[in-house]
Amino acid sequence: MASVIEMKEERKDLKEELETTDMALFVRTSEESMNDWNRQRIVDALIRETYIDVDTAKEIAQEVEDLIVTSRIKMITAPLVRELVDTKLVERGLEQARKMHTRLGMPLYDVDQLILHPNKENANVPHGPEATNLTLAERIKKEYALLSVFSQETADAHMRGDIHLHDLGFVDRPYCSGQSLEYIKRFGLSLPNSIAMAKPAKHPEVLLAHMVKFAAGLQSNFAGAIGWDAVNLFFAPYLEGMSDRELEQLAQMMIFEFSQQAVARGGQAIFTDLNLYWEIPKHFENVPAIGPGGEKTGKNYSDYMKESQRFAWALFNVFMEGDGSGRPFFFPKPLVHITEKFFQTPGHMDFLHHICEVASEKGNTYFVFDRGETAKISECCRLSFKLDQTDLEDAKEPWKMRYCALQNVTLNLPRIAYLAKGDDTRLFSKLTEFIEVTVKAHLEKKSFIEKLLSIGERGPLALLAMNRDGSPYLRMHRASFLIGMVGLNELVQVHTGQEMHQSRQAFKFGLKVIAHMKLLVDKLSGRHGIHFVLEQTPAESTAYRFAKLDLRFHSPRSGDIVKGNISKGEVYYTNSTYLNNSAVLNPIERVRQEGLFHPLIEAGALTHIWLGEAKPSRESLANFVIKTFKQTQNDQIAFSPEFTTCNACNRTSRGLRSSCQYCGSTEVDGITRITGYFTKLSSWNKGKIGELHNRYRNQAYIEAQEGETVLKAG
Amino acid sequence: MEMIKIFVKAKCPKCPAAKEIGMELKREGVPVFNYDLDTIDGLAEASFYSILSTPSFIIEDEKEREVASWRGVVPTLQEVKQHLFRSN
Repeated sequence: MASVIEMKEERKDLKEELETTDMALFVRTSEESMNDWNRQRIVDALIRETYIDVDTAKEIAQEVEDLIVTSRIKMITAPLVRELVDTKLVERGLEQARKMHTRLGMPLYDVDQLILHPNKENANVPHGPEATNLTLAERIKKEYALLSVFSQETADAHMRGDIHLHDLGFVDRPYCSGQSLEYIKRFGLSLPNSIAMAKPAKHPEVLLAHMVKFAAGLQSNFAGAIGWDAVNLFFAPYLEGMSDRELEQLAQMMIFEFSQQAVARGGQAIFTDLNLYWEIPKHFENVPAIGPGGEKTGKNYSDYMKESQRFAWALFNVFMEGDGSGRPFFFPKPLVHITEKFFQTPGHMDFLHHICEVASEKGNTYFVFDRGETAKISECCRLSFKLDQTDLEDAKEPWKMRYCALQNVTLNLPRIAYLAKGDDTRLFSKLTEFIEVTVKAHLEKKSFIEKLLSIGERGPLALLAMNRDGSPYLRMHRASFLIGMVGLNELVQVHTGQEMHQSRQAFKFGLKVIAHMKLLVDKLSGRHGIHFVLEQTPAESTAYRFAKLDLRFHSPRSGDIVKGNISKGEVYYTNSTYLNNSAVLNPIERVRQEGLFHPLIEAGALTHIWLGEAKPSRESLANFVIKTFKQTQNDQIAFSPEFTTCNACNRTSRGLRSSCQYCGSTEVDGITRITGYFTKLSSWNKGKIGELHNRYRNQAYIEAQEGETVLKAG
Repeated sequence: MEMIKIFVKAKCPKCPAAKEIGMELKREGVPVFNYDLDTIDGLAEASFYSILSTPSFIIEDEKEREVASWRGVVPTLQEVKQHLFRSN
């Protein structure tokens, strides 16, 4: 393909006398060679890439050639030629042909900026040559997605900011997934395109190596999180006879392997969720355990409770220590499932205190509440899947338990309220319209992914198409399609004049909006025969993007509504269905109120409890967790402390500070939870910085009692 | 005076009995509010009270404070009345 065309100085005035073949234009091609100018190349490209007829193509080529010759410019780039051709297509009203003939790429200035400055759309992406490569590829794929994968209606809705299509730069992959270790235990590491096949692991270290490599493979095939179910339990058959020291060493290896993947790959750390259980989950109790060599051990998983518990305990010992400089590990994330059975399992209070101590000290622990008979597997920041009857049937052969969400699309809820102008009917009808566009976007993505998967193990998604157990690795019929939301609080504020925490009526109106979404999404699932579910979008950059776009399109009204600091550009909308971050609320009351939305949000939800520099006692956090489980409907909670890490002396202290409390250096960085993971503040986008300033850190509810700090639960 | 909120769904075997209790109370002059969980308002109201199964009953006082509730069960008319008329 032509990249640069040059015209020799002495020949540029000869347009009248020359035929094309005589023109001394040279084309630098992408094969790094020089070709002569040839008008026919324009004709060929138009015929190859669009549906226009040969005569029109020839006419356009001639007109473009004339223009180039008369322009007297010394060097013409191929993108310019393409743009000139596109102008001719537009002049003829051939808009579809122009679209098909578009060149994807980036301006020189943007590439320069990208190479020099870090990407702040996702704080989990480091800055370096490999990351730049990924970002450049992402930009092109994003353009490709908006032009070629999605219809104009969908793409325009995204560009306007009515909706946000997540991970457009990863359009050729599903969104996120949940895995079972049993798959690699049973089948080893036998991946398409791999140069060596590994049989099922015989030793725990090898199983860990397989897990990490498979996770890296999966990371290349999914846009987001990789969750692993019941990790401690599925490791258990390999752990018999290991000493505490050996077990802790293995736990340390696991956590460091997953937290240092970013260094190995140069790209984004693998967003890894480790789902952990103190008890043996009911659906795995009578399942035959798979052990070394992929063989059944002759025992059921219920026989491995001791090893499973010891490993979970060891993992939290490592989380407690933190990394080499005492910082919390950003990844992997430990998610402990709190169930009815948890409270019936011996030693649960000791374990609860242990994980609460880690939550207070380092913040790592996520408490996932599976009440009643519900079983869940968690994947992304808060994404979880409740297991239905078919899944519980699959649980008898756990390697079948692999799930995915194909895409995540988020609605700009405040936008709907601006458009509704206070009219209820208009508000709900706009909400329906936005959801319908979202569904269309999902169907378009589904059809694209199915096309890629249909090429099987020779195609781009070979790993997901591989078939080792009678069905492809990616079980498309079990895929979910996520519909997220940003700024429910601001929708309610625009529409009713009050934020959700300010009155019962405003809060109930928020519930009504989500109830409408839930009922509509269920109806559309039935109509299309696929599983649409509501999700609390983490919205790390979307909450910022929507706020910025609404300030542009819906001022002056939006100026009173967006949160953060407008003069500094640190603006955002409140995430998903959350109450205002700055509202002074009793934390257990926040957990309760936010939890009232959770049963409506099938794909998972989370409430943050910001701790600031406070370090409440493990007993008070355990009390808080128990109260949350027994007295609320909240799906998941996490306690988030703040830290300052010093780049000079490599030590970490509690709280966000402008200088190191040990050596006084100002070369420090803050660390706390951005959405569903910990990261350094220097990588945060402006919207999230605005939110950080506003977060209410529960100061009035954290107090000293009998020599210890306590988080009050009621 | 107390009011009663009754939560039902279309496909719910015990809901007709719940509705009957509601009608009886209405006849006796008790403010009764029916919520169908298949509708937006019904589902929103049920979420507010953490109603996860039907039929369910909530009795509230005039300040909308919960006085009594039955979730996923049908109380007897007598039981409901005991709570409704306790403070009168």
